[in-house]
Amino acid sequence: MDTKLIKEVTDWMKTTDLAEFCYENNGDSIEIKTQEALPEPAQFACSLTAVTAPTVGIYHAADKGQNLTLTEGQPVEQGAALGVVETVSKKHKITAPVAGKLRVVSAQEGAPVEFGLPLFFIEPQEH
Amino acid sequence: MATGLQQKNFQKVLIANRGEIAVRVIRTLKEMNIKSVAIYSQADRNSLHVRMADEAVCIGPARSAQSYLNIDAVITAAKITGADAIHPGYGFLSENEEFAAAVEQAGLTFIGPSAQTISMLGVKSTAREIAVKAGVAVTPGSDGVVGKNYHALARKIGFPLMIKAALGGGGKGMRACLQEEDLDRMMTTAKAEARANFGDDRMYFEKLILNPRHIEVQVAADNYGNVVAFAERDCSLQRRHQKLVEESPSPFVDAKTRTQLQEAACKVVKAAKYCGVGTVEFLMAPTKEFYFMEVNTRLQVEHPVTEEVCGQDLVKLQIQIAQGEKLPLSQKEAAVINCHAIEHRINAEDSEHNFAPCPGTVTEWIPAGGLGVRVDSHVYSGYAIPTYYDSLIAKLIVTAPDRARLLARSRRTLGEFVVGGVKTTIPFHQKIVANPDFISGNTDTGLIERMIKQEKEHESEK
Repeated sequence: MDTKLIKEVTDWMKTTDLAEFCYENNGDSIEIKTQEALPEPAQFACSLTAVTAPTVGIYHAADKGQNLTLTEGQPVEQGAALGVVETVSKKHKITAPVAGKLRVVSAQEGAPVEFGLPLFFIEPQEH
Repeated sequence: MATGLQQKNFQKVLIANRGEIAVRVIRTLKEMNIKSVAIYSQADRNSLHVRMADEAVCIGPARSAQSYLNIDAVITAAKITGADAIHPGYGFLSENEEFAAAVEQAGLTFIGPSAQTISMLGVKSTAREIAVKAGVAVTPGSDGVVGKNYHALARKIGFPLMIKAALGGGGKGMRACLQEEDLDRMMTTAKAEARANFGDDRMYFEKLILNPRHIEVQVAADNYGNVVAFAERDCSLQRRHQKLVEESPSPFVDAKTRTQLQEAACKVVKAAKYCGVGTVEFLMAPTKEFYFMEVNTRLQVEHPVTEEVCGQDLVKLQIQIAQGEKLPLSQKEAAVINCHAIEHRINAEDSEHNFAPCPGTVTEWIPAGGLGVRVDSHVYSGYAIPTYYDSLIAKLIVTAPDRARLLARSRRTLGEFVVGGVKTTIPFHQKIVANPDFISGNTDTGLIERMIKQEKEHESEK
């Protein structure tokens, strides 16, 4: 690493109002940030896929009139039935968006849910 | 209100709205010791009505069609939270007969007139027919939807005339036609606009009254045939058929005309068997002759002006009527004029650039205060105005014993109102209260457009 280059760049940056500097050449790259640079946004890495309520309503662990038993740890196929959210006029079917393992089941039979409330978390299957 | 004679006391009311009107309704519910349920879209999670309500339910994504206009979701939220009634506010589902019917069907009370009344008065040609039968003057017009013979009809009414959509509102599907040569072109564009906005392109004609005033009368009617009318509101200051300033009483209306207006409004309301709080709108010619325009079957944005003048809480009145109570006030009490009041609608819009919406974060919020000032708003410092809904951020309502003192107070309050971070219509309101025609009370529905035009001419001269 060319420390002389780094010093030159930092000295030069002090004469400007730049807060960040990135440079890349032939696979070499440097990145310099001053104290004014914006902090890195926190990265929340979550490997689980959330399944949220598609509408406000009452959650039922049922599909086609059959009660469903959903337990944490069980495998699910993509498109598998995970119950319904029932409004005054319709039943909104909930299906697994990905295949994987059901890791968190927060949906409770007969419980009211609001739009966007996470009902399940699925750990997607590794390909 | 199908079950008219049953009295009930609401324990919990859901407000099917957002913004300042949701906050406004929650305030009255608190005073009446009724629990409130707010509904909100994902874009309104940080809205004030969510914080102020006893309970709040997220009913959908930001887009109104999937949240505030989603009848199924709104009623489901009411059922889940155990609300007895739904207050629709204004806009959104407030004048949707399907919604009013669905609320009743779900065993809840719709705080407003019946679905049947909404549907009847929502078709403007039907509303006109009701007024005619009640003996109230309407502008000469086509008396119903026009057919293929519209040229002959237009000639009979005479030019200039207005082309209006049967299901219209907010100036959409409306065209002024000054001469017969323009008729076909105007019909085509008005019909296209009506189809796009209301899914219906039935049109009707009305004679165009030049330099009219928009005068409206607030009414309240109970299930027992009692009707009262309040002092009129003058809403002549409009830009593209959107009201900007409303005042009461009108500087143009004298005591005799006022009584005539109130009598006419009561006649229409009785003929329509109306039940609830509503507004009868009239167009007033410079001769003071007035013509029925339409009935708004909801609480209006400008209702605080009337509240200040008569000292009544109109939301409370709506709730009392919906609970099956008798009107708690006489015509004499309703018509009382305690003060002069004005409302300035403060929108997050850039009045210097064609009133373009200016959503953003309100970095500083110092509302006006002091004697005779009321601010109805859902805004606070740090509030981010979502882009999905209308741009109204506050209603500044000012009162004083007479109009001269009122305008002085308006100028003072507009000057001290600080909204940082977004452009607002406050500077434009300051121009209005400095306008000689407005000061002398010489207003009509064209004044704002003339002001804007004059301003542009001044700029181009420089």
